[in-house]
Amino acid sequence: MSGASLPAWLQELQASFGEMLRSPLDRSTGTLRADPSTYPVALLRQALPALDLSAGERLAIYNRQYWFRLFTVLQRAFPLTARLAGFWRFNEYAANFLLAHPPRGWDLDCVGAGFPEFLCEAWSGERARHEEKLTPHEQSGEHADPEALIEAARIDRAYHDVFRAPPVARYEPSANDAGRLPHARLQLSPAVALLSEHWPLAEMRQSALATPGDAAIRLEARLSEARHFLLARDGLQLALLPLEPGERKLLGLLSRGTVGAALAELELTCSETERGELPINTRKWLASSVRLGVWAGANFAQ
Amino acid sequence: MPPRLARNALGLGLRTAHYREILEAWPTVDYFEIITENFLGDALPARYHLDQIKERYPLVLHGVGLNILGPEPPDLRYLDGVAWLADYVKAPFVSDHLCWTAAHGYSHHDLLPAPYLPELLELVAERAALAQRHLGRPFGLENLSSYVEFEQSSLNEWEFYAAAVARAGCHFMLDINNIYVSSENHGFSPHSYLEAIDFSRVLQVHIAGHTREPNGTLVDTHDQPVSEAVWQLYRTAQRRSACPTLLEWDDRLPPLSQTLAELDKAKQYRA
Repeated sequence: MSGASLPAWLQELQASFGEMLRSPLDRSTGTLRADPSTYPVALLRQALPALDLSAGERLAIYNRQYWFRLFTVLQRAFPLTARLAGFWRFNEYAANFLLAHPPRGWDLDCVGAGFPEFLCEAWSGERARHEEKLTPHEQSGEHADPEALIEAARIDRAYHDVFRAPPVARYEPSANDAGRLPHARLQLSPAVALLSEHWPLAEMRQSALATPGDAAIRLEARLSEARHFLLARDGLQLALLPLEPGERKLLGLLSRGTVGAALAELELTCSETERGELPINTRKWLASSVRLGVWAGANFAQ
Repeated sequence: MPPRLARNALGLGLRTAHYREILEAWPTVDYFEIITENFLGDALPARYHLDQIKERYPLVLHGVGLNILGPEPPDLRYLDGVAWLADYVKAPFVSDHLCWTAAHGYSHHDLLPAPYLPELLELVAERAALAQRHLGRPFGLENLSSYVEFEQSSLNEWEFYAAAVARAGCHFMLDINNIYVSSENHGFSPHSYLEAIDFSRVLQVHIAGHTREPNGTLVDTHDQPVSEAVWQLYRTAQRRSACPTLLEWDDRLPPLSQTLAELDKAKQYRA
């Protein structure tokens, strides 16, 4: 920082202007409506009416712009989540999130950071209460349940982050590394993500992007078994590569602990039938992960 | 020294939806303007496209994050990033807005107005001059479109704007559409605004489309062709002095060919 600061009176004006911007839009009439009666009185006194509009109506233009801009940012960053919920319901979640986590930096791409975790926390232990609020249509099962929405938000966020990751060189272990690898911790590349789904959400995401709209789309039936994927950036394209359950588990363990610890944990937790094939599969999965650029480096410090 | 744009240059705001068309067709356009903040990070897609386009076209930087009327002085780390980007693309100039965008730890992602008072001029001029020095190239301040005025103001916007630019020794990034939008919203003459501008210090003019709300307010939406009223005001400005002209189109973005055709209309209003 450098130089002088603004006078105190203007800083106070800006504080109340910011408070006005963040005033939630009223949803009670079925449309999103600014309510100038909630604005700071001091701000209403300082803003001028003009051309048949009151000071409050003038300020309401900014209030609406603030929310609709951020809703649009989140709808674009979470396209599957927004379509599963429908924009009306999604905007309610988005508003709650933005009230709890208003933007703090200049980068609009960061506005959605933490949204999946917010949804997860907000709904933890509150599913029953949430279902009570659903309309009969929503309770009919055509509306996405919170667990699916949280999973969709995680998938949307992964797409967002992987696509925007910086250029990153893939890690390929050298001959020198080989002996030390059991004690190393592999660094997951920011240009990949490990995904799991209990509904066919990846397919639904492609479909939602191909058919824009703001109405809720129907959630497909829950899968009999979870499916696992590696989302990887190749050039400027994103590829979704299926992973075997054991492979997904191994990559997850490798991203959280040392190679040795991950392999030990995998062996401890696999079934008897899997154990026989484990050495072969482990080598195959590790080689594949290196080839696909899952790792950006290895930390041998531990 | 950074390169200069011809005074009759016609440019277009670079938008991601047009990347493919640009990279396939390399259309004839004098220059592009990029939104500074979209390229400050290290995301691969943004850098990949920037690297290709900067080899073929002059690029100028247009920021929304300087926050020149914010509570805190300019963030030098932010300015370091802008300076790096300006050097990287060899930008002839950089611009940002005469407004505030963040305060007290909150970023509002909007271009917000402040009261216009003589006591604020020195501070704005000091900050604009600092930005220009830090960036090592001409820095232009853009007039914003606004929907509210404050009782504390003792200067008109154009008086404040012209005085701030003169004191800072920086430049005008004159948005013709914003003048028109604000003039309609606040009931002043857009021609009085233009009279206050020293056109020898105008780096560039912006043109864009706007929308009239049901309550009569004009909103700076950048989502449609330039209105005839704005073109006429542009004609008046160009009679004062030819300036590089940049079309902004952000929402409901048509194909590149249509935005270029809209930009080309500027030639009709220069005669």
